[in-house]
Amino acid sequence: MNKKVLTLFLAIASLGLVSCNSNDDETGIVIDGIDLSKDVDCCSAEEALQVYKFLQTVRNIPELTTVVEGLYEVSAYSKTGTLHKGYNDLYFVVTKKKTGNYVKFFDVTDLTPLMHMVKMDMWHSTPVGGTVTVLDEKLPALKHGWVSLLMNTSDAGNWQFSYDIEVLGSKGGVQNKAINVNALPDGQDWLKSFKVGNDTYYLSLVNPSDWQTGTNTIQAYISKKNDPITTPYTLATETFTIEIDPRMPDMGNHTSPDNTPLTIQGNGSYRGSINLTMTGLWRIHLTVKDSEGNVVAGGDDQKDGYSSLYWDVTL
Amino acid sequence: MISILLVPFFYVDSLTTSSHTIDEVVVVSVAGEGRKRSVKGQVASIDEHLSELSHVNLVRRGSYAWEPVVNNMATERVATTIDGMKIFYACTDKMDPVTSYVESSNLQSILLNSGLNGNPQSTGNIGGSLDLKLRRTGFNADPFHANVDVGYETNGHLQVYGADVAVSSQHFYTNGGVFYRHADNYKEGGGRKVQFSQFQKVNAFANAGVKLSDSNILEGTFIFDRATDVGYPALNMDVAKAEAFITSLSYKHQWAESFLNSWETKAYYNHITHVMDDTKRPDVEIHMDMPGKSWTSGLYSLVSASNGRHDIQANYDLYYNRLFADMTMYPGGAAPMYMVTWPDVGTLNTGVALNDHIDLGGGHQLHLSTKVAWQTQRLNNEEGYHALRVFFPGMKQNYQQVTGRIAANYAVRRKNYEVNVGAGWGSRAPTVTEAYGYYLNNTFNQYDYIGNPRLKNESAIELNGATKWQMLNGKCQIGLDANAFFFSNYIIGQFETRLSPMTVDAEGVKVYGNLDHATIVNTSLNVKWKMATWLTWDTRLGYAIGRDDKGDPLPLISPFSYTSSLTFAHRRFQGKAELRGNSRQTHYGKKYGETVTSAWVIGNISGQYTLSIQRHDLTLRAGVENLADTRYTTYSDWCDIPQKGRNVYVNLSWQL
Repeated sequence: MNKKVLTLFLAIASLGLVSCNSNDDETGIVIDGIDLSKDVDCCSAEEALQVYKFLQTVRNIPELTTVVEGLYEVSAYSKTGTLHKGYNDLYFVVTKKKTGNYVKFFDVTDLTPLMHMVKMDMWHSTPVGGTVTVLDEKLPALKHGWVSLLMNTSDAGNWQFSYDIEVLGSKGGVQNKAINVNALPDGQDWLKSFKVGNDTYYLSLVNPSDWQTGTNTIQAYISKKNDPITTPYTLATETFTIEIDPRMPDMGNHTSPDNTPLTIQGNGSYRGSINLTMTGLWRIHLTVKDSEGNVVAGGDDQKDGYSSLYWDVTL
Repeated sequence: MISILLVPFFYVDSLTTSSHTIDEVVVVSVAGEGRKRSVKGQVASIDEHLSELSHVNLVRRGSYAWEPVVNNMATERVATTIDGMKIFYACTDKMDPVTSYVESSNLQSILLNSGLNGNPQSTGNIGGSLDLKLRRTGFNADPFHANVDVGYETNGHLQVYGADVAVSSQHFYTNGGVFYRHADNYKEGGGRKVQFSQFQKVNAFANAGVKLSDSNILEGTFIFDRATDVGYPALNMDVAKAEAFITSLSYKHQWAESFLNSWETKAYYNHITHVMDDTKRPDVEIHMDMPGKSWTSGLYSLVSASNGRHDIQANYDLYYNRLFADMTMYPGGAAPMYMVTWPDVGTLNTGVALNDHIDLGGGHQLHLSTKVAWQTQRLNNEEGYHALRVFFPGMKQNYQQVTGRIAANYAVRRKNYEVNVGAGWGSRAPTVTEAYGYYLNNTFNQYDYIGNPRLKNESAIELNGATKWQMLNGKCQIGLDANAFFFSNYIIGQFETRLSPMTVDAEGVKVYGNLDHATIVNTSLNVKWKMATWLTWDTRLGYAIGRDDKGDPLPLISPFSYTSSLTFAHRRFQGKAELRGNSRQTHYGKKYGETVTSAWVIGNISGQYTLSIQRHDLTLRAGVENLADTRYTTYSDWCDIPQKGRNVYVNLSWQL
């Protein structure tokens, strides 16, 4: 009898010890598949949890995944795990193979999408955000970049992606990896170009699929075609203003009031606000002005009275 | 005193109808000579009953669901209740005034309180209040009673069938019935068919009462009303379904001999589903779905007291209403477009009211009424709220309003004349359409209307007076009646040229705003001459003026109108010949998109004969409306849709 009581007591005591163990880390955070024991290269438990949570909101792009020197696993993510024509956010995360924890120090460079135009057997790149950087101080192990793809994959052409990566002194990357780029559905057209002299500029509209009826922030980038065209197109160095005139072509070109033009921000993006009175197809007619206020693109009155330069967004 | 307590409803009626600001039309026959009735009897539609009331006009968008206008003020300024219960229409285009959700067989009478002297349950009644009094057999009536109605009208092949039964005893009563109407497209004067003017309606009702003890009564009512395939020739679309479910439960305590007469507490619930339909229209540019929903739950508690000089009513009421409507447009091939047109507005309103009718003696009477109400509103639909914020960036999701009214009427009665004078002040909160409506297209002037959450409450001072003179030993009566409403912050749609319309053929956008002031004046002259015991001549002339803050005419104000009739009565036969007309509408609201309406006059004849078959009355009614088959439209015909051409009707009511 006494023995039984003693055994029970020991069992309870050892249970307590086990739970004490898992509480060794003062935050008490447990993430499946990640060893959170202290590692200066990697995230603290709190930081790792934030990254883990963020990664639940995006999907892995298998084509852009690689392993660096057998030590580090590099994963790239987008919202859907695929890419589409126009602006795409890309996220990079590196995990230590041994612990599964997220590495804080790594650099992604030379992110280069290349399109092969089959008929002409010609290669060209596309607008790419300058450098892949930390998006949020709270997520030091998550790096963000973007690409704005000029075309979708079709019989006319297909895409290859390359990037280099350095993780804690180890080097690796992805070279000329074929990747499919989806077309956008009808009523979505988020990338437009205009010419000033011999220079070609691209207007990439950022994530309009997040918009809702009401007042929305409208964000875009202006990139300039590079020479040679096989190097990624970087942000234009000139400053512009993009005036917007949102219209509903199915609704007799109904418009909304109080839209504000997109002007340049500290991070090189352009921001304004757009009011959408209902869901449906919105054709956002554009007038691009240079820093002196001269119209350089759009703003022409087509036969319907609106600019021929426009983005289409369907809510 | 005891007789009063046995029939409290009649008591209240006879008391209130003594004022010139109150009118009543009887729907179901009850004892009482000289009370207003439609010549079509119980078979008449609610709209036809309403048109019998003085101060009332009807805006017509088709042959169904007309909108009552009281003192030249429409739904926004008129409070409509069903036996004191609040109910709110569910269509953003006003296709369903709440009077369309009841049927003649449901009602005892329709009581109108003109102007600010509203019934205790009404709020926001600047123009007046309508109470649709439900029909109850009551205790100690005939042990069994049945009623069958059949009607037919040639124009539009309108068919009406109704039947109801009632059972009554000392401690229990119940009655119920069904009513059905069906109409095809009607023909305007001259014989051309008015497309999309058909309708069909089914109504069923039941109510019951139990006397728990001599002084305690429990009563319940239930109405189900469903209109389908309703055409609206004045609008771009029709209605697939307009359905209401109305129910209440009340408890009443009565005192036999005390200062307190009765205390009634009623809890109620109603909901309305309204579904518009444009699929049957040719050349629809963009097909749309536009459903609307309204539900209301509430209670009131009414105490009546009297001490011989004072007749007092004190009322507390509380209701919560939700209004939601949205619109989905389907452009061929492209993505559907969606917007919320009423952003699920929840209104919680509560108020207290006090009425006192004082007999000052010597033929002097004073009637006082007052009410204070508080309400809070919340926009429950985020999408609709964010859409409105585009136009009103500073708007909130919650609003509160306080409204009130106070009115006094003084009457002197002498042998051959009486004089009434009254004054009042009252305010109303903006309606959901006025405050939060979103791109509601108004086919009247082809503008899209946007609500304005920043609107101030509208208020008005009312002055009224009436006098009645008797001559020729009481055989001739001349009555003169006038009222004037001086508005502050009058709410009306105002041009907003900076905004772009949504509806494809719309002229532009209007946003509701407050006019600093506006005025509406109504006058009428009534002559009634009993020329012989069998012959009465009755003539009524009416004239109204509406002016905005710039002195320009307000829209939808009646032009000079006249009605003249001769009524014959001989034994069981009654006949009537009538002329009705309007002069040309010279002062029309051009600024507000109204167009001029020409003068018109029509003639009607009607007859009624009652047979008694084994003590059961069989009443046969027949008549011809618009004898000369004149093609005409009145100022209140939406988009100038023509009225019915010649129409022959016949109906039978059989009391069993």
